[in-house]
Amino acid sequence: MMKKFLTAIAAALAGSIAANAAEPVKIGFSESKTGLFAQAATSQYQAYNLWREQVNAAGGLDVAGTKRKVEFVSYDDQSNPGKAVQIYEKLITDDKVDLLLAPWGTSLHLAIVGVLERYKFPMVGNTAASVQLRKLKAANIWFPTSLFPDRQSDVLAALLKDRGVGSAALVTNQLPYTQENKSFVVPALKKAGIELVVNEDYPPNVKDLTALLTKVKNAKPDAVLAYTYPADAVLYMNGAREVGLDQKVQVVLLGPQYDFFGKIFGAARNGILTMGHWTPARKDWPSAKTFADAFKARWKTDPDFVDAPLAYVSVEILQQAVAKAGLDKDKLRETIAGTTFATINGPARFEGVMNVALPTMISQIQGGTQHIVWPPEERTAEAIAKPAWK
Amino acid sequence: MIGRHFRFAGLLGVAVAAFALVPRLGGDYAIGVALNLLMWIALTQSWVVLSAMTGYVSLGHAVFFGAGAYVMVLCFGSLPFWLSVIVAGAATGALALAVGYPCLRVRGPYFVILTFGLAELVKFVVINIEAGLGQFGRLLFGGPGLAQIFYVVLVLAALSVAVTWFVRRSRFGRGLRAIRENEEAAETLGIDVARFKVLAFALSAIVPGMVGAAMVLRTTYFEPLDLFNPITSFTIVSIAIIGGGDDVPGPIYGAFFLVLMQELLWANWPEVYMILLGGLLVAFVLGVPDGIHGRVAAWRRSRR
Repeated sequence: MMKKFLTAIAAALAGSIAANAAEPVKIGFSESKTGLFAQAATSQYQAYNLWREQVNAAGGLDVAGTKRKVEFVSYDDQSNPGKAVQIYEKLITDDKVDLLLAPWGTSLHLAIVGVLERYKFPMVGNTAASVQLRKLKAANIWFPTSLFPDRQSDVLAALLKDRGVGSAALVTNQLPYTQENKSFVVPALKKAGIELVVNEDYPPNVKDLTALLTKVKNAKPDAVLAYTYPADAVLYMNGAREVGLDQKVQVVLLGPQYDFFGKIFGAARNGILTMGHWTPARKDWPSAKTFADAFKARWKTDPDFVDAPLAYVSVEILQQAVAKAGLDKDKLRETIAGTTFATINGPARFEGVMNVALPTMISQIQGGTQHIVWPPEERTAEAIAKPAWK
Repeated sequence: MIGRHFRFAGLLGVAVAAFALVPRLGGDYAIGVALNLLMWIALTQSWVVLSAMTGYVSLGHAVFFGAGAYVMVLCFGSLPFWLSVIVAGAATGALALAVGYPCLRVRGPYFVILTFGLAELVKFVVINIEAGLGQFGRLLFGGPGLAQIFYVVLVLAALSVAVTWFVRRSRFGRGLRAIRENEEAAETLGIDVARFKVLAFALSAIVPGMVGAAMVLRTTYFEPLDLFNPITSFTIVSIAIIGGGDDVPGPIYGAFFLVLMQELLWANWPEVYMILLGGLLVAFVLGVPDGIHGRVAAWRRSRR
C-alpha cells in the first residue's frame, strides 16, 4: 500500500517536472503605457519584445540547458512609482513570474528596489541614471549604464577644453536629472578654466525658450549647454535657430538620442553634442549593428541611442545568466554579480550595483546617426563643429 | 441619537478589526490593494468635510498629500515615523489655515481654479527648493515595513470616517451645510461664515497630509512631480461623485467601486479603464447625481 502510494507520488512528481520543462518561462515587468513617461518608454518595450521574438524564434530561452519559450506578463504603471511597487509585488507573489525586467526611468527603478530586496528577487535594471544609484546598498539590482552626472560632467569639460572653448552658457530644466547634471558640470567647467557667462534654470512645463536664448546670444559664449528633457529639447532647437545661436559647440542633454528628434529636425541635428555611450558604429561591438538593423526591421524606426540599447543590454545579461544558473534566485544573483557579459554595448561586469566595464562617454549626431566623440580612446568619429542653422 | 453614535462606533470598530486582519491573512498583494482602498477612503472623507458639506469644491487636495509627504522627507531619519506623521498633519492643517482665508473669499468655479492653481504653485515651489538644496529626488530607505504603513493608514482612514460622521451631525456641520445652501442666509442666521469655512478647510487638510507622509514611505522615493500629481486631486473628486452624498458612506462606496474596478480592469485593459472611468463619471453626473449612496438610500426607503 505504502509502496504503491510512493510510486504514485514519484510518478506525479516526474510528470510535473516534465510538464515544467515544456512550460514557458514567465517574465514580468511594468510598462509606462500611459502618463508622463509613456512616449519615452516605448523604445524600451520595443527592445524587450524584439528580444522575446528573437529568443522564441531560436527555440526558446536556454534555462541551464533546457530550451523554454518566453512569455511576458506586463501591466501599465501609469508612470506612477506607487503603482510600479504594487505591480512588482503582484508579479512576484500573485503571478509568480520566473524573472523580472525593469520598469522605465530612475524614479520607478528606485521605487521598486525595496520590493526586490524584500523578496530577494534579482533584476537587471536599465534606464536609470543618477549618482544616487551608487549609494544603493542593494543586492538584487544592477545598472548597466554609465550615464552618471559626475563623470559625465568631467568627460564633457575635457571635450570642451579640447575644442578650444573658453566660455559657456548653461540653461537647465528644473527636473531632477538635469539639475543633478548642472550641479556637477558647473564645478567641472570651472576646474577646466571655462568661464560660465550664463547660468539659468527654466520650469519643466516651459512653452518658449527664445527670451532665455536671446540672453545667451547676447553673452556671446563659445559653447551653449542646454540641459533639457526631450520635450524642451525641441523648444531649444527651434529657439536657437530663431535667435541665431551660431556657436560651433552646442550640447543638448536629452532629446537628440531619440528617433522622433531626427524626424523633426533631420539634418539640423547634425553636430549637436549629447550624452550616450552606445553607437552602432563601433567596430569592436559587432552585435551593436546587428541589433540596430533588427530593431529597424521589426519596428520600422531606428532605435534611440540610450533606452533601447540599455533595455536590450539588460535582457542580454539576464539571458546569459539564466543559461548558466537557471532560474534559482540565489544562483542567478551570484552569476549576475560575478560574471563578465558580452553585450551590444561591449563587455559588462558589475561591482556592487554598477557596471564597471563601460566608461562614460560623450556623443555627437553626425550624418543622422550617433557617434561617440569623447574620450579619444573610445571614439568612433572626431567631433565636428556644428554647421550653421539652415 | 446617542444610540446612533453607538451603532456607528460599533460598525466602525468591526470594520477596523476586519481590515486589521488583512496583513495576517493576506499576502503583500492583498495588503497593497487594501492599503490603496484605505488611502482613498481617508482622502475622500477629508475632502467631503470641506467640499461636499460647504459646496466649495477643492480640485487641489493633492497639495496636502504632497506637502505631508514633503514634511516626512524633511523629518526622515531625525524623528520617529509616527511623530513625523503627526507633524505632517499639523503642518498641512496650518498650511490650510494660512491659505484658507484668502482662498475661501471666492466661490464657485473661481474657487475650483484657485485650489488647482494653489496645488501647482506649491508643487513648483517645492521643485525649486529641492533644486536649490541640490536634491534630485530623494531615497528614503530604512523606513517602516508595509504592514506598519498599513496600520497607520488604517487608523487615519478610521479617523477621517469619525471626523466626517461627527461633523455631519454637529452644529458645525449644520452650519457648513447652511453655507452650501445659501451663504447669505446662513450669515443672517448668525453663522460665522468665514470662520466656519476656514475651519472646515483646515480640518479637511490634516488627514491628507498624514496620509501623504505615510504613503511616501511605501514607494521609498520622493519626487515632487509624483507626490503633487494633480491626478490625486481628480481621483478624490471622482470617488466623491461616484459615491455621492455629504456623509460617511459615499466615499466608502466610491472608493470600493473605483479601487476594485481599477484592480480588475487596469491589469488587462488600461486604455479601456480610462475610457470607462470617463464614461462612468459622465453617466453618474447625468443619471445618478446623488451617487451610489443616494441610490442605496432610496432603495432602502422604498423597502420600508
